[in-house]
Amino acid sequence: MDSLKRDFNTVTLVMIPVAIAINIAVGQLALLIKVPLYLDSIGTILVGVLAGPWAGALTGFISNFIWTIAGWYTPAIAFAGVAAIIGALAGIFGRAGWPNVWWKAILAGLITGLIAAIISAPIATYVFGGVMGSGTDAIVAMARSVGLDSLGANIAQGTFSDPMDKMATYLVVFLVLRALPLRFLARFTNLKARS
Amino acid sequence: MSEPVRRPSAIEALHPLTKLALMLAAVVAGAALPTIPAVLGVFVLLLVPLAVAGGCLRPFLRTCLRVLTPFLISLLLIQGFFTPGPTVLLRLGPFRYTLEGLLVGLLFSARLLVGMGAATLLMLVTRPDALMRGLVERGLPNQIAYIVITALQIVPTFQARARSILDAQRSRGLETEGPLTVRLRAFAPLVGPLILSSLMQIEERAIALEARAFNRPGRRTSLVALHDTRAQGLLRWALLAAALALVAARLVLWRTA
Repeated sequence: MDSLKRDFNTVTLVMIPVAIAINIAVGQLALLIKVPLYLDSIGTILVGVLAGPWAGALTGFISNFIWTIAGWYTPAIAFAGVAAIIGALAGIFGRAGWPNVWWKAILAGLITGLIAAIISAPIATYVFGGVMGSGTDAIVAMARSVGLDSLGANIAQGTFSDPMDKMATYLVVFLVLRALPLRFLARFTNLKARS
Repeated sequence: MSEPVRRPSAIEALHPLTKLALMLAAVVAGAALPTIPAVLGVFVLLLVPLAVAGGCLRPFLRTCLRVLTPFLISLLLIQGFFTPGPTVLLRLGPFRYTLEGLLVGLLFSARLLVGMGAATLLMLVTRPDALMRGLVERGLPNQIAYIVITALQIVPTFQARARSILDAQRSRGLETEGPLTVRLRAFAPLVGPLILSSLMQIEERAIALEARAFNRPGRRTSLVALHDTRAQGLLRWALLAAALALVAARLVLWRTA
């Protein structure tokens, strides 16, 4: 409970809705200029890195809840748990100081992407019948045509799409941390200070 | 986001937790019932009448159709071609389209229709602030309600800011169209200003909230007043019992489905 309390000071509570808005606005910008990445978890990972695993998890969970209740992307709520784990992982990587170094940030993205792929595949398979109604379904179809079952095909699709997306996201987070003034970063205790 | 300002319909006037319970029961029923007609029955006999009573049948059906269509297409193709079964309906090169696959695809589609329909209907007939108020009265921390409501309020301004940054950078000659490398390079001057400018406002907001005793412990009054009745309380318990019964039936009676 102590770590829970420490994560949530007023600055963090104010940052979470802003981070959710960043998730949504940047995610839609990525769609608008047709980048083949989701880039819809930059805010979640920023909060996790700066304010700790609990705050990151909460940001991810509520973010997906809002995608659903605002009607932008109804299936999102089914993946709220995955988003929460992505945020929690960001807290752990932040505490270890990884997002301060560019290659460690990319490594953190790779690990996050692989974990996200593995835990979202069963949801895609058993809740959505193995499809997401988007372009990634072509990858699922290809994986199934070479003989993978539904779960295997969804894991294959996830390991193809997710690590790339999360590595790009962590790279953006690394650049944002560079650009933020130290006075702002000093407000948060989770991220190990840059040496 | 729906913002009902006219006189509330019979459904809108219900306590938000009653509406939440109705939708959750529909989702559970859609996931637990074993056959396509039974699952579609939940949609036709529960969700559609609720949408009629809520006066939002048109937007409800339109949104359901828009959300479901891409799933339906993918499900019918992928499940149809890759589910093994004895009844082959169609051969296409090395692939066979089976009746069994078609039925699996239709069952998943029906379940998604109920699940996403329930979420859509809930948001059409419930104001988010009333829903959050209802949950806070049952013990959800105030801070969570603050996060949800604030996020819903500021997202539109963020979308507008993203658009204006896009326009501003384009007018300075930033290439946002063309090959992938060009579009990726365009991303930094778009996302950077958006993220940094919004983060810099956080401190001011935090000070403003603390000056208004945001973290003070104790009871607060709310601008949103909710109306609850005994009958609705009973209905919520009945819905909970029905949902549990369906889950039990699914685990015991319909194990193969």
